Amino acid sequence: MQKTYKYILLGLCLLTAGACKKDWLERKPRTILLEEQVWNDPKQIVALLANFYDRLPVQTGLQDINNNGDLDGRIAQWRDMANIDDAMWSGQSNEDGRNNIPAYGFESWRLWNYSYIRDINLALENIAQYGERLTDDQKKQFTAELRFLRAYDYFELVKRMGGVPLVTKQLLYDYSGNATPLQVPRAKEEAVYDFIASEVDAIKNDLGNDGNVSRANKYTALALKSRAMLYAASIAKYNNLMPAPISTPGGEVGIPASRATEFYTKSLEASKEIINSGVYTLYKVNPIPGENFYEAITKKSGNKEAIFVKDFLTPQKRHWFSYDNIVRGIREDNLGSSSVTPSLNLVESYEYLDGTAGALKTRTADNSDYIYYTNIGDIFANKDARLYGTVIYPGTTFKGLPVGIQAGVMAWNATRNAYDVVEGSDLNTTYTDGKTLTGSSGPHRSIQEVSNTGFYLRKYIDAGARTSTRGIQSDIWWIWFRLGEVYLNAGEAAFELGLTGEALTYINAIRERAGFGTNSLTTLTLARIQNERRVELAFEDHRLWDLKRWRIADKLWNGNVSNPNAMVYALYPYRVVRPGDAARNGKYVFVKMIAPRFRAPRFFQLGNYYSSIDQAVINNNPTIVKNPFQ
Amino acid sequence: MQRIIISFLAIAFIAAAGCKKDNYEEPKAILTGQVVYDKQPVGLRSNGVQLELWQHGSALFTKIPVYIAQDGTFSASLFNGSYKLVLLRGNGPWVNNSDSLDVTVNGNTTVEVPVEPFFIIKTANIGRSGSDITATVTLQQINNSLPLDAVSIYLGSTTVVDQVNSVAGTTVAAADIPNITQPVNLTVAIPPSLIAKGYVYARVGVKTAGIAELLYTMPQKIELK
Repeated sequence: MQKTYKYILLGLCLLTAGACKKDWLERKPRTILLEEQVWNDPKQIVALLANFYDRLPVQTGLQDINNNGDLDGRIAQWRDMANIDDAMWSGQSNEDGRNNIPAYGFESWRLWNYSYIRDINLALENIAQYGERLTDDQKKQFTAELRFLRAYDYFELVKRMGGVPLVTKQLLYDYSGNATPLQVPRAKEEAVYDFIASEVDAIKNDLGNDGNVSRANKYTALALKSRAMLYAASIAKYNNLMPAPISTPGGEVGIPASRATEFYTKSLEASKEIINSGVYTLYKVNPIPGENFYEAITKKSGNKEAIFVKDFLTPQKRHWFSYDNIVRGIREDNLGSSSVTPSLNLVESYEYLDGTAGALKTRTADNSDYIYYTNIGDIFANKDARLYGTVIYPGTTFKGLPVGIQAGVMAWNATRNAYDVVEGSDLNTTYTDGKTLTGSSGPHRSIQEVSNTGFYLRKYIDAGARTSTRGIQSDIWWIWFRLGEVYLNAGEAAFELGLTGEALTYINAIRERAGFGTNSLTTLTLARIQNERRVELAFEDHRLWDLKRWRIADKLWNGNVSNPNAMVYALYPYRVVRPGDAARNGKYVFVKMIAPRFRAPRFFQLGNYYSSIDQAVINNNPTIVKNPFQ
Repeated sequence: MQRIIISFLAIAFIAAAGCKKDNYEEPKAILTGQVVYDKQPVGLRSNGVQLELWQHGSALFTKIPVYIAQDGTFSASLFNGSYKLVLLRGNGPWVNNSDSLDVTVNGNTTVEVPVEPFFIIKTANIGRSGSDITATVTLQQINNSLPLDAVSIYLGSTTVVDQVNSVAGTTVAAADIPNITQPVNLTVAIPPSLIAKGYVYARVGVKTAGIAELLYTMPQKIELK
């Protein structure tokens, strides 16, 4: 008894003594990082930045992500490349709706990723509040990078939605029953562009990251300013030249014409700062201009043209773009390929090297007969080299393999005195004369995952071995900004400011790289610049936005079947079988047609210039003004 | 075996019972109507122009889009109740009007939506002359706030004819129309595909600058034989 009592007493003493240790229950969690830990550790901040860089939205890109709205705000829909006039869908037939869009919905291209803005605002405030052990330089650099990402996202928002609420700090609810302080109204469209310009000016010298292409440096910020200011300027100019300018009374949409010159000047200054810095040069490593242009986009080492990219790395982070879009006859997987196929419209917008318009010559001048080409690729001779770098056309190679593009044969029917068009029911078929009927890569009128236009994509397709398989995948990077675009931005801004001489130096530099002679242009029109942007920047997510800011999308894509700009055309090559006529037999002829799987003309209405705002957003925040036509 | 049959029976029973319970009744009332100017129906592009129906009072506050047919009529299946009918801004070829129309739906209801077009087509004489279809059109400007953009004629093989659904068409731009009080002449060659059919449907539309949609006449069938 006595002993037991002693033990109990001893135990009690121990317990009470132990309890006296202060905050015994308050321990650092082993599975959660605290704010003080995160914001004082540069490595963890860089890891967070990687997440923010990865979440930058892009309409097309090389991935298939759509977390718009309440989720983390990422968006990248490579399939959207097939929704405009540069390409159509030739992949799996369950996506054929892209060839049959009766009219673009007013919600098309909508973006409202304030989840992303909010995360960045939170990070900015936390660095300021908790980042005590960071050096001043680190703090400055991280803050500048975050502000760059926020400015970039506001640019993505304003080019789609018009003026959006400019939220630059966390919005916190104070539980007072009054939510009006959280209801930020839309800023004016010009105010968002002004915000982007002032943010770039404020941070460009703090960014650091010299020579880095996947993190923002001074020139990345300037490239954003160059593009954003050009957009603002052309909206100011061309919106007000419309018969009825698109605007709202409060200026949420529409920029006064008086600001055009100022915006063009800012854009030109930013472009010139990049060009004159000498940090970047146009990629001219490969002496063959066509291959050189392909490498300018895809080559990672020694590429001084790329300014800012979304990089992919083997084996950690890769994408399926090559699997989905490689030439059918060269695919290494048993499925996939051929999804986005360039249109004849795009191919014909590449000029001939002598400066003549790019329409391909398929018929004689009096339209009495076909033009007979000895080799299947001869029709593309002397074209702008960027065609080769962007599009795979008949008679070219990829991965060192020839592409078998041939639709069928034209067999001469002497009784009818005309050609019989014979096309294979499958790929890789042989005609009765023992030679090719339909090539290994089509084109074919109806088979899925075969080009329907007669062309394939080369830009952004990986030439590495087995990169088009699902197992290996591709690590080609996505270009956000490259020097080629900055040259075109500078050329356009200078032209609009009346500095045609200066504009010509920039545009001619781009054309010289494409195989044209020096000073290939001596006069300049806006239409020239528009075409130059189309051919240089095809599939880099520019054309739709360019057509919008020039306010010509509703004219080009007017939804009319008889309008060649609204339809997607194909070019089908045929081998001539005409024994006894040595001048024609065995040669190749070409037929232009509306792509067989293409159904509805592109129809861009006035209401598409600004995407509609989701009704749920308006319900939550009644101060949001609707877009015109919404 | 018996167990399998019993379990199948049980599943069948549950499935049959599931069809009944908790299913909402479908909307039974039908709202029909027509867009009119001066008591005359307004011709439009098929499914191109939209009206909005809004109903206050429920948690989900979002519009019910109602597309207008090419003869200006529309219909929607609804629950009984009161709605607000709104013209979608800048969508139709008429002056914006933000006033909503109160509509009380009780059983089958008919409503007329009056609009003020910028231009109307007073007369359109469409006929065949040789291998062409010609039209003589008189316009009338109703509202002066926006100028004329173009006058067009469209041909199609079905009664659904408009800017988008057409086989052929011609447009005369406003610059080529010195005086809009004078008749405008339009000529379009009949495409071979329609000659083979033996008839065409033709429609004339007038486009106001800055408005995407045209205002059309009713489609007219023209025999070619």
